Amino acid sequence: MKKFLLLAMLMLIAAGPLAANVTDNRDPLTIIEETTNHIFDMLADRREEFTAEPALLRDVVRTDLLPLLDVTYSARLILGRSGRGVTPEQLDAFANAMSNVLVNRYSDGLLEFRSDEQIQILPMKGKNSDKLTRVRTRLKLENGGYAPVDYAFRKTDLGWKAFDVTVEGISYIITFRNQIAPRVEADGIDKVTEEILAGNIQINE
Amino acid sequence: MILRYFLLAALLLIQAAMLSGCATKPVTMTDPERDPWEAYNRKIHSFNMAFDDAIFKPVAKGYDTIMPDAPQRGVRNFFRNLSYPVTFLNLILQGKFEDSLTATGRFLMNSTVGVFGFFDIATRVEIPEYNEDFGQTLAVWGWKDSRYLVMPVFGPYTARDFLGRSFYGYFHPVSYVAREYNNYIPLVVDLISLRAELLPFQAELDAASDPYVLVRDVYLQRREYDIHDGDPPQLDYDSLLEEY
Repeated sequence: MKKFLLLAMLMLIAAGPLAANVTDNRDPLTIIEETTNHIFDMLADRREEFTAEPALLRDVVRTDLLPLLDVTYSARLILGRSGRGVTPEQLDAFANAMSNVLVNRYSDGLLEFRSDEQIQILPMKGKNSDKLTRVRTRLKLENGGYAPVDYAFRKTDLGWKAFDVTVEGISYIITFRNQIAPRVEADGIDKVTEEILAGNIQINE
Repeated sequence: MILRYFLLAALLLIQAAMLSGCATKPVTMTDPERDPWEAYNRKIHSFNMAFDDAIFKPVAKGYDTIMPDAPQRGVRNFFRNLSYPVTFLNLILQGKFEDSLTATGRFLMNSTVGVFGFFDIATRVEIPEYNEDFGQTLAVWGWKDSRYLVMPVFGPYTARDFLGRSFYGYFHPVSYVAREYNNYIPLVVDLISLRAELLPFQAELDAASDPYVLVRDVYLQRREYDIHDGDPPQLDYDSLLEEY
């Protein structure tokens, strides 16, 4: 019996990291659709709880979103030339710091939305390939107008992953890259990662 | 008239600052392709920021404090509706005839049912809104890339868009009233309400690592987006990696 338990535990431990690396076979449109629905259902069920404790929502949203993002690729795009000679560990730390700040901002913004009816997913359009594709959505604003929000996806070994978000034509990658890369050149990546975590560098979108 | 003299004085002041500032150390260029005039642009940007801090922002803040949100939106709707002649003409110049009819319908609806444009009824009933100007028309006609150019007091432009802006003055009712009747009140209100609309972004600008670059990147990306009517070509992400 004890042997069986030990074996089960070992299997669980082995399955742990595997579970996080399951290939996602869904196409980008479905990913956006299902994630939006899931997050808004959850928000509708537990709004009071989350309003009282936004940190709880941040945790839940992070767990939901992070597997859908290619944070390392985003980090490499942002670093560009300034990322020369950066070790994989440094890149991971930088990527995690950035995605955390981004996901937190997204999560804090969520509470201002009443329902998923404010988010519309538009049909695919433009140049999409089997490697790179763009999902277009639009947010309905208070004044009756719309703000377009696009998500860029790329095909990885683990399926389609999002790596950039564009709000009214302003790309997160492009905008943040020109703010952060010169600082990495000047101060080194460790210091910049530290400052992002400390909240000294804002990520604006 | 006073405003014109003021602008002239400001321009002369800046020229003087430029000439005396020639000996300062060269600035490293952050985007040599699109912003080869960065050294000059940065100086004008600093001047504009100081000007904004001293005059524009305080006035806009005062306006934002005394005016409730709803009438503020109404004022913006009013001025947006008034830009119809510019939008219409440029839709025609770009060969978007069907859109020019829709834009006309939108203008008529907002000017009547929407009480001189204060209420944007057309948006509520899902009539598309167009945003066109001469700079965009020049881009559609083939002047795709243009150098970034910061103008004293006026702020961010490209060479193309500043040229476009000078045409705009002849067709925009607000500029027309200022020029023909020497009545600058509508122009001043337009500018103040526009500046007030940008106040929520102030914190992000102040927190930016390099505010000059942030303004430039947002402006250039936004122009690209407007030129392509909200559907710009997919970014070439791989080119960002090649430099790695």
